[in-house]
Amino acid sequence: MRPQDPARAMRSFQRCMRQSTQLQRPAIPHIPRTSSTATRAFTTTPSRRHNPSTVDPTEVSHFNALASSWWDPHGSSRLLHLMNPLRHDFIASCRFNDALVPSQKLKYLDIGCGGGIFAESAARLPDTHSVTAIDPTPGVLKIAEAHKRRDPLLMEPGRLTYLNTSIEDLPVPETPEEGHDIVTLFEVLEHVNAPGPFIEKLLPHVKPGGWLIMSTIARTWTSWLVTNVMAEDVLGIVPKGTHEWSKYVNEDELRGYFAKEPGWDGTSVRSLGVMYVPGLGWKEVRGGEDWGNYFFAVKRLK
Amino acid sequence: MAPRLLFRAPRALSARPAVVVRVRPGRRFASSSASAPEVYDVVCVGGGPAGLSLLAGLKASPVTRGLKVALIEGQDIQKNRLSKGASLDSFSNRCSSLTPASVRNLQEIGVWKHVNAARVQPYQEMQVWDGVTDARISFDWDTARPLLSPRNPAQPTTIAYMIENANTVTMLLSRLEELGGVDMFTSTKVSSIELGTDTENMDFTSWPVLTLSTGKTLAARLLVGADGANSPVRTFADIESRGFDYNRFGVVASLSIEGQGWGGPEHKIAYQRFLPSGPLALLPLPGNKSTLVWSTTPERAARLKALAPEDFVAMVNAGFRLSTTDLEYLHTLEKGQAEEVAWREKHTPVNERAVPMRITDVETGTVAGFPLRMRHADTYTGERVALVGDAAHTIHPLAGQGLNQGQGDAAALVKTISHAVRTGQDIGSTLALESYNSERYAENNAMLGVCDKLHRLYSVESGPIVGLRSIGLRAVDAMGPLKSFFMSRAAGGS
Repeated sequence: MRPQDPARAMRSFQRCMRQSTQLQRPAIPHIPRTSSTATRAFTTTPSRRHNPSTVDPTEVSHFNALASSWWDPHGSSRLLHLMNPLRHDFIASCRFNDALVPSQKLKYLDIGCGGGIFAESAARLPDTHSVTAIDPTPGVLKIAEAHKRRDPLLMEPGRLTYLNTSIEDLPVPETPEEGHDIVTLFEVLEHVNAPGPFIEKLLPHVKPGGWLIMSTIARTWTSWLVTNVMAEDVLGIVPKGTHEWSKYVNEDELRGYFAKEPGWDGTSVRSLGVMYVPGLGWKEVRGGEDWGNYFFAVKRLK
Repeated sequence: MAPRLLFRAPRALSARPAVVVRVRPGRRFASSSASAPEVYDVVCVGGGPAGLSLLAGLKASPVTRGLKVALIEGQDIQKNRLSKGASLDSFSNRCSSLTPASVRNLQEIGVWKHVNAARVQPYQEMQVWDGVTDARISFDWDTARPLLSPRNPAQPTTIAYMIENANTVTMLLSRLEELGGVDMFTSTKVSSIELGTDTENMDFTSWPVLTLSTGKTLAARLLVGADGANSPVRTFADIESRGFDYNRFGVVASLSIEGQGWGGPEHKIAYQRFLPSGPLALLPLPGNKSTLVWSTTPERAARLKALAPEDFVAMVNAGFRLSTTDLEYLHTLEKGQAEEVAWREKHTPVNERAVPMRITDVETGTVAGFPLRMRHADTYTGERVALVGDAAHTIHPLAGQGLNQGQGDAAALVKTISHAVRTGQDIGSTLALESYNSERYAENNAMLGVCDKLHRLYSVESGPIVGLRSIGLRAVDAMGPLKSFFMSRAAGGS
């Protein structure tokens, strides 16, 4: 638990050192989750294979390997942990103009939940009814389940449910009203094989009037330099092989997609660029959605 | 006490808390009959000003109000409460100087409205001088303004507020009663703190589980150590606290002086004379009362405490007036200081307006001494642990910052917890607590360093340093903006 023996103390010391060197390095890093092959043809045309999966098996094994360090505050997921509060701020800003019913509690669906960083935090909020969190990688879900047992609040029945499934295999709500108020897709899109069919699959899970919230990375030369070359190859603060630049999706591509998508309010789209500034943490950057990490939100029509 | 200590790992035994701290991770599977601990979000050990301020801050904010919190305090805190109509002829010898920043925070969390205002004394001026060279610096907001700039009528004139610690604790308790929602375990000791176990449903292996002297057990999502310099919580968290003893005692006493002070009731003045053995300070209380803090060697402190009231009074008056050579001699006398001082004062020219008005009396039973230490914990946070106040740091009292640092800690921890709650973080996780540590550690460390350096600087009796420090003091005194900077720092920043 706490460093008692010298070897342990040394390990924790080394962790501290790792952390401090991380903080001094410039990076807009980025971290992962689910999915697949192919290049970035952003299309909604479904593949011809029967029940095609958007999950990439190589991504699954990559995240299995990362699982053990998921909750280490100084481990490879540190930047995701630090980013998490911003996700809540962004969701709050999206919902700011929604008519609030005080007694109404929110149902979340977190897709590609990983070790449960966002899922746990959403489940702790006082205005949360329930969180369903799914991920196709069995190893990280085991970590998520084990970590959940450390918090009695999360163990309350129905508050936080993990499912080892892909979005394709998640039963679609029988009526739209049974959907979720908030469907989240954080740092997932850049790892999926075919984003068009993938997004198509998750749309029915959003309740009318609810929000689809995601974060990903723009496919620009800056993001290639930062997330692939700097973060993975040069600095090594993000595990190698985490990112495939060609899979990245740009903000205007998403915007264009939802402008044409029936049942979705293209005018509700909100996006926000964010950047990790060493020493200061994650900061909002206006216009950053065009060249780096960004949040994206769109509302389903009532 | 010793047999109750149970340390499984080799560790420094400098602190000897009367609490069993088992550090071995509990990996036992609790199949035994032991009833499950009651789960709390925040368990605060220690009901001093820092701990109570933290709880009031948490309960005053709509974001954190819903947290389940408990206070554990070994003493009956109600007993030390100040009664409403307490006589203004008598003051406790435990007083502190609250900075405007601390008062602002207490106002924000709705505590200050419960203060017994008649017993609080704001002061507007500070006179500080070198006991060896008489080089002097005076602090007041008026002379500290930038050169040639007009006096700003909106500029606050108060440097700090003298207040009895009992008054601070009483207003905090009143506010907590008004807010409700804190489970108070008072007159209750913590008999052990250990990590929880992995049961069938829950993994409490990262949670501190406290067993109280009543037998009750509490599991803490966040355990706050507001339990003083020998903090058992800090020991549990295996956080080292480093520092040293100054080999000095602080002698305190409640005094009466011959009038309201040279500035009258509306312009009170605090005095501090740096003597080679330590600073001698007289701080104003309401009416003709004042409180004394005299830092000196343990031998001199013991002798001061043993003096008859008239001799003690004479020594304090002499401390502000006579030369260090005279004082050295007076400290060697077992009695008869009153006569000796009267004779020597005749031969020492003193500008009476530059020193405090004469002390006429000392309140019986208020002369006390405590050892001065400097301690700083290596970190203020661990997994599910945060330290506030003296548990985190002990400071030389010469700048009167100890209580204010604790109040600053409490306010910062409330802010950190509040951000964690709003964003769904586990408030006990090291990640959530990081901002508290980074914000407060640097701030407190700087203050500890400055006070320590001042102490050392003025311990020197001869040589070039004495000349240099006098030049420095005079230079700062002549420079309004620089003075303003120092005053802002002492006032808690603004």
